[in-house]
Amino acid sequence: MIKVKNLYHSYSNDDNYAVKDVSFEVTKGEIFGFLGPSGAGKSTTQNILTGLLELQKGEVSVAGYDIKKIIPKMFNKIGMSFEQSNVYSKLTAKENLEFYRKLFDVKTRNPDELLRLVGLKGKENKKTGDFSKGMKHRLTFARSMINNPELWFLDEPTTGLDPAIASEIKNIIKEQNDKGVTIFLTTHNMYIAEELCNRVAFIIDGEIKLIDSPKNLKLQYGDKLVEVEYIENGNLIQETFSTVIKSDKKKLQNLIGKHEIQTMHTKEATLEEIFIKVTGRRLV
Amino acid sequence: MKLWFSFIKELKLASRGFYFYIEIFMALLILAVLLFAVPENFESKQTEYIHLNLPEMNKKIYLQKIKKMDINGSFEEVEIEVDNKLIQSKFYETEDKKIYIINEKDDLIKLADKNRKLGAVIKLNKNNKLEYEYYLQGYESKRLKNLYLISHIEDTDTLIKALENQDVRPLEADYDTLTDRENIIPIVLTFNGALMGLFIIAAYIFLDKQEGVIKAYAVTASSVWQYLLSKIGVLLVTSILSSLIVLLPIMGTQPNYLLLLLLLLTTGFFASSLGLLIASFYDNIMQAFGTIYLFMLVIIIPNIAYIIPGWDPIWVKILPSYPILYGFKEILLKNGDINYILKVSLGFLVVGLILFAISNRRYKKTLTV
Ligand SMILES: Nc1ncnc2c1ncn2[C@@H]1O[C@H](COP(=O)(O)OP(=O)(O)OP(=O)(O)O)[C@@H](O)[C@H]1O
Ligand SMILES: [Mg+2]
Repeated sequence: MIKVKNLYHSYSNDDNYAVKDVSFEVTKGEIFGFLGPSGAGKSTTQNILTGLLELQKGEVSVAGYDIKKIIPKMFNKIGMSFEQSNVYSKLTAKENLEFYRKLFDVKTRNPDELLRLVGLKGKENKKTGDFSKGMKHRLTFARSMINNPELWFLDEPTTGLDPAIASEIKNIIKEQNDKGVTIFLTTHNMYIAEELCNRVAFIIDGEIKLIDSPKNLKLQYGDKLVEVEYIENGNLIQETFSTVIKSDKKKLQNLIGKHEIQTMHTKEATLEEIFIKVTGRRLV
Repeated sequence: MKLWFSFIKELKLASRGFYFYIEIFMALLILAVLLFAVPENFESKQTEYIHLNLPEMNKKIYLQKIKKMDINGSFEEVEIEVDNKLIQSKFYETEDKKIYIINEKDDLIKLADKNRKLGAVIKLNKNNKLEYEYYLQGYESKRLKNLYLISHIEDTDTLIKALENQDVRPLEADYDTLTDRENIIPIVLTFNGALMGLFIIAAYIFLDKQEGVIKAYAVTASSVWQYLLSKIGVLLVTSILSSLIVLLPIMGTQPNYLLLLLLLLTTGFFASSLGLLIASFYDNIMQAFGTIYLFMLVIIIPNIAYIIPGWDPIWVKILPSYPILYGFKEILLKNGDINYILKVSLGFLVVGLILFAISNRRYKKTLTV
């Protein structure tokens, strides 16, 4: 579905690259997660793939179309949800969707149904200028699937949403994927990525550090962690130790000898912890 | 089809924004000013103050002469103010002049000076011939001054005879002129109609840039040119509307509305395409303000040439608003030069298309900036 080879991009047209030698492939029907901290180059890559940014260097094909020469027809197959919601504030939610659906040549979805799906039922005829940030974001998300896309680009689909709604959105993404939709998901939310993605790419400073499935990553990097609760000077303290790192092991032994242990669990490393281990960077 | 839907959506947006209403409100305001504040024709009669320094006998003869020329055949006793005091004066109104006879020479000089009008003292010289002493303002042209000089070297009678023998014939038998009020309308059509599109479309584009909706449009199966053209369409509708608001009540059915539509559409297309191009270089209206202001100033200059007939340098004729002004004027005239109107329309259509093509390229490339 997506083929990217040696992609570079510089906003200043010099060797100050926001995206550097990025290569990857996304196959049909998979959910591909693009993970990285703020400013890593996630949106830049996605914008090149969708023709919003000019392709400067590299080879990119999306949904069978060469991105060097973008033709409008290509977007019949593509949906894109933006990081920053962008809807007409003077139009109502429904008018926004009604207008948008007319810009495609393929069968489109019913706006009312889409609005219900993202929890905007009852707000159809409200001007989006009066919407909250999260409501606009949900509308932008709903809009991106109006043309029944085969390939769906999602830039931070759950950012800024309350947990209940974020979980709804997550379910919608899963459902669409079950129907065969290929998904390119950009996020820095590791829980979402871990739950949804077949494969993830870790990107930092414009470079991809690694691409693998969350499962493999856990087998490879997910050494067991021990979470200990103990009492020190009358206070309950919680700490996590690696069972591999030497200094951690020593500390743990010390702890068991000196303090009263309340609870002790082993737990699997999260994707976030693996990310930090692989890239040496936090995800914020 | 997509173009049509985009156009309808733009109309909806425009009707919910306030630029649309500003333009309509402006048109109504201009109409009201033209109808109620601007006279059909401006005062064009020249005012003269005359002091007669003549023996009673000659004075009587002279006054009788003027009286004959008066449109009512009689004078009016009026009071006019000089230096905070009121003086008596005889007032005559002829076909082309308003004449005040002033008794005191000092008052005459003050009046001519204060009101910036012509003052003249008429007296007899040694040879018993009439002698004229003019008080001018100092800024009159040399030609005019010379005219005053020669007009009295010769005997007045010969001069009048010569004038009467001169046959003045209009070039075209049916040539019609505009009233002063109508003469203002081309300015209204040019600025509130055709050229307003330049600023308003830029404002619309900046609104869209702020909301990021251009990006959303860019990832649909519709092309950027359709987005841009639908915006221009809305601007053209507004300009036709606001032009008709002013034109219909004042000129009724006289103008050729087909030609008017043609010129409004082509010049409006040109102006909006230019506005699109300018807006493509900036992120928001504040950044673009300087450039837009500059364009505004330059575009207004031909007005001066239009209003002051004597000032018409070539560089002003090159400015786009110049042919637009005169194009609209030709449309309002009964026997306007259709060829000229067609030529101007074609010119603006061609230039508009070129600007539109350049804008389209720029918007395709700079969508996300
Ligand atoms: N329009 C722009 N002009 C110049 N530089 C830009 C522009 N957009 C992004 N950048 C720079 O490019 C780099 C990558 O930005 P990008 O938006 O792709 O990051 P991101 O991974 O999407 O981050 P986030 O998680 O915050 O969305 C950053 O250093 C950013 O400052
Ligand atoms: Mg981003």
